[in-house]
Amino acid sequence: MTLPVKIRTHKISFSYDGKPVLRDATACFHEKSITAIVGPSGCGKSTFLLTLNRLWEEMPNGSMRGTVEMHLDGAFRDIYGKDFPVVQLRRRVGMIFQEPNPLPMSIFRNVAFPLQLAGIRERDLIRNKVERALRKVRLWNEVENRLSDPALSLSGGQQQRMCLARALILEPEVLLLDEPTSSLDPKAVEAVEQLLVDLKGRCTLLVVSHYLDQVRRIADRVVELRDGAFPIDAGTALMG
Amino acid sequence: MTRFLEKTVPAFAWLCGAVFLAAIASVVGYLLYKGLRTLDPGLFFGDTAPLDALLMKRRVFGGIFPAMAGTVLLVVLSVGWAVPIGLAAGIYLAEYARGGTKDTLNFFFDILAGLPSIVVGLFGFSLAVFLNKNVSARLHPCLLVSSVALAFLVLPYIIRTTQVSLETVPPRVRMTARSMGATRLQNIFRVLLPQSLPGLSSGVILAIGRCAEDTAVIMLTGAVATAGIPGSLLSHYEALPFYIYYISAQYADQRELATGYGASIVLLAVCLLLFFLAFLVRKSVTSRALYRA
Repeated sequence: MTLPVKIRTHKISFSYDGKPVLRDATACFHEKSITAIVGPSGCGKSTFLLTLNRLWEEMPNGSMRGTVEMHLDGAFRDIYGKDFPVVQLRRRVGMIFQEPNPLPMSIFRNVAFPLQLAGIRERDLIRNKVERALRKVRLWNEVENRLSDPALSLSGGQQQRMCLARALILEPEVLLLDEPTSSLDPKAVEAVEQLLVDLKGRCTLLVVSHYLDQVRRIADRVVELRDGAFPIDAGTALMG
Repeated sequence: MTRFLEKTVPAFAWLCGAVFLAAIASVVGYLLYKGLRTLDPGLFFGDTAPLDALLMKRRVFGGIFPAMAGTVLLVVLSVGWAVPIGLAAGIYLAEYARGGTKDTLNFFFDILAGLPSIVVGLFGFSLAVFLNKNVSARLHPCLLVSSVALAFLVLPYIIRTTQVSLETVPPRVRMTARSMGATRLQNIFRVLLPQSLPGLSSGVILAIGRCAEDTAVIMLTGAVATAGIPGSLLSHYEALPFYIYYISAQYADQRELATGYGASIVLLAVCLLLFFLAFLVRKSVTSRALYRA
């Protein structure tokens, strides 16, 4: 079975301060599947993810060429196009970082934060959504009585799951994960991996990972990034 | 040699801390020793009944109550002008200004920070004279002019602390809200500023202290020895530092000099009270901005 394509990149080249990181990276990624991006460290995997939600634009000294198209609202759209607001893009393309990045505010506020940024004010709606997101990442039972505690008081694994809940609360179509389990203990790793597999049903997931056994456990497809490019044609359909 | 340094540097650091503490303790101790016995209703209200004075039914002569009121009003007004402007300028410098503009502005704010307060006072005085000649003869050195001049004096502190605390928010935190679709302004107001509150409040506390103690600016711009409680922004006023300065320069007897010490203790207490208020405001803003569920 071949799943429809969600994201296709064409000849992305990227450099920081004139140092090339990506060279003509061309690939496509399929809907409702987990694609693992592997490769030696420093080969540009994280940078590649940043080109998919345009987050690199917030850092100084990057420059990029090439195109990224995403299948949104029934058609492929150039996410760097002038008619595509970056704020909208980032609400539909969530991102999880290597280190959990809770904001220094309460647990509730953290998870509700994207909703508030999007201008949603109804308190009941927000409460419901926060609860649902926290249940989805199986954190609700652990935090329901301490929602106004600082998020930084959670353990590392809990923090990462909370960040996942925060990313999921806007029901993104794409989730970018940059080594999401590398700072977690084995039990937390298992919980997060299980979650990612569950999410496949509604999301396109791209996971940068260093751990080959993790890749084997969760990925539907593996693409390798080497020297800033995908050496084997990553545009091909799913491998078994 | 290394071992020697390893041992002596901490010892020296301890010693410096101790000297500093001893200096503070001796200043406060001396003030208390000299002024404590003057702290009675008479110091504050003179011959007026305290209740009448507090309700502003009767004017106080020979007491420092009007000077306390003047100082508190002055500080609140000056900080009230300086905080919004300083915040805006600090945000601009940290988040928007780049390259040559930023360097130039930084340079000018450094100069402004080093401006002697007597020069700022002269500026305020000239401003009052200018307004008097060109706008309305009713305008003269007054509470309004003093507070504007003082705001000018403390503006650099607020700009600097705002800028520095915004610039030192870790990149990871800075990026987080942006990755969730926050606009630049949303990021500034919902993440970066709340994150910077501790830094901001220390800037405000510095500003409060400076406004409360400054004498050079206010003696040129509207503080007088007797004025009662200021009736409007355009009236003369009394202030504690000016009272202390005045009494210690022109005291008639030992008793009058002692009231100067009493007033110093009161000034310290007023500052402490204002610091505490600033701290409470910060606490409540933090919990409102970040922790209320």
